Amino acid sequence: MRIDSLEHRPGSGFRDDGRRAAPDASPDAPAVSARRICKAYGGTEVLRDIDLDVAPGETVCILGPSGSGKSTFLRCLNWLEEPSSGTVLLDGQPIGRLPGRDGRPRPMNARELAAARTRVSMVFQHFALWPHLTALGNVVEAPVHVLGRPRSEALAEGRRLLERVGLAERADAYPHTLSGGQKQRVAISRALAMRPKLLLFAEPTSALDPEMVGEVLAVMRDLARGGQTMIVVTHEMAFAREVADRIVFLDGGRVVETGTPDAFFTRPHTERAQRFLARYAR
Amino acid sequence: MTFDDVLTLLAAASITLGLSVAGIALGLPIGLGLALLRSARLPVLDQAIAALVSLVRAAPIVTLALFVFFVLPEAGLELAPIPAAVVTLTLNTAAFDCEIFRAGLAAFPRDQLEAASAYGLRPATRFRRIVLPQLWRASLGPLVSEMTIVLKGTPAVAVIGVVEITRAAGRIGAQTYEPLPPFLAATVLYTALIAVLVRGQRFAEARIARRYGYAVS
Ligand SMILES: Nc1ncnc2c1ncn2[C@@H]1O[C@H](COP(=O)(O)OP(=O)(O)OP(=O)(O)O)[C@@H](O)[C@H]1O
Ligand SMILES: [Mg+2]
Repeated sequence: MRIDSLEHRPGSGFRDDGRRAAPDASPDAPAVSARRICKAYGGTEVLRDIDLDVAPGETVCILGPSGSGKSTFLRCLNWLEEPSSGTVLLDGQPIGRLPGRDGRPRPMNARELAAARTRVSMVFQHFALWPHLTALGNVVEAPVHVLGRPRSEALAEGRRLLERVGLAERADAYPHTLSGGQKQRVAISRALAMRPKLLLFAEPTSALDPEMVGEVLAVMRDLARGGQTMIVVTHEMAFAREVADRIVFLDGGRVVETGTPDAFFTRPHTERAQRFLARYAR
Repeated sequence: MTFDDVLTLLAAASITLGLSVAGIALGLPIGLGLALLRSARLPVLDQAIAALVSLVRAAPIVTLALFVFFVLPEAGLELAPIPAAVVTLTLNTAAFDCEIFRAGLAAFPRDQLEAASAYGLRPATRFRRIVLPQLWRASLGPLVSEMTIVLKGTPAVAVIGVVEITRAAGRIGAQTYEPLPPFLAATVLYTALIAVLVRGQRFAEARIARRYGYAVS
């Protein structure tokens, strides 16, 4: 296992002496900057040297065949999966590893990791709502118990967010009474309630009945248009083509091709992307 | 059976109830603590707890009571019969509760834990806010079964001189040469105590199912 040094440029949160610099306030620091991300399970490499910068306001869709490493890569960005090597900066600040006293990287402790994760929210394929809390309870849980926002304020904002996804009337419903599409919209409200710099979507419509896919994609489209920075792993090609600012195509754990949706869908220049798209065209 | 005998039985019932409540109340948090320690999988400590729990679970309550009352004093811990009885029942039920909580923790949905971590909940907050409220609900059935077993296990502490329902009934039967009435009364008392527990469980389970929609065992 290789431990990388943390010196990596875009919006680097470190000075050369390895001590923490002031939070990077520059508005054009990438929302996320991932460098040389590698991940191996046992001996199998599933991610090989992936680099990705996402600018504030940008929507990036990650596409690729099954097993190409899309989910694994996304989970490395909020350190749900620990990369074997590589660095991730969220809004200029590191997640997962910090420089230790000797300047070499050390793993973040639970408190540091939790703090770093408040800058990024994730929407999961299977919703992962907390079933003992109402829709509104799910939305305000982290703002109140992680960010320490006053409960009344969080509740008011939570109601606004549920209204925004069309679920104002279901605020007091428990998850088991909601449809899949409604659950996922609650999950999106929960993600937004953290006011994250970056929103990660892990195949958000893959577990939905076909008739509910549209309502979730509509919410995501609105978010993208509203300037929310998003990375979306999806198999919804039409959505990616319409909404993404940029497509990142993974195959075999590598970024094989990246470009605008127009370029990617109309004139993919790698054979692997062509083959991938041909399967969807049928 | 005289009125005095009835009073004796009721006094004994309060001992049975008191011992059970004390054992259960102390055993639950200890069992939970042990289950959490085990789920942390600390080297050495994990095996030590596992061995201890198996030992206590295997020991009959009578044996455990004799151990606490007669052996612990040699280690400098001398206890009167009632405290010794509480310690015995606590140890016994904590070991079983530990296994119940451990199963509940092992079955806890991973995706919920992951979501909590992804949203920045620290381990302690995550346990308090997300895991515990669901863990106790999911474990309610087995926990109540275990509570009834503790209740029915209380006669075992008679060996160290505690007069609880069964011991009292036996004494009355021996004095009056009419064992049937006191043992009938004893049975009614146990049934009443257990009925209260089971009623409480059904009530809680119905509420949980109605509200949160997850069935509990
Ligand atoms: N925990 C794990 N242990 C071992 N191998 C794993 C693990 N998680 C993922 N993999 C492997 O890593 C590779 C990439 O998996 P990943 O789930 O990231 O792919 P994906 O692009 O999201 O695929 P899909 O489109 O099917 O969701 C696969 O070959 C998978 O078998
Ligand atoms: Mg996947």
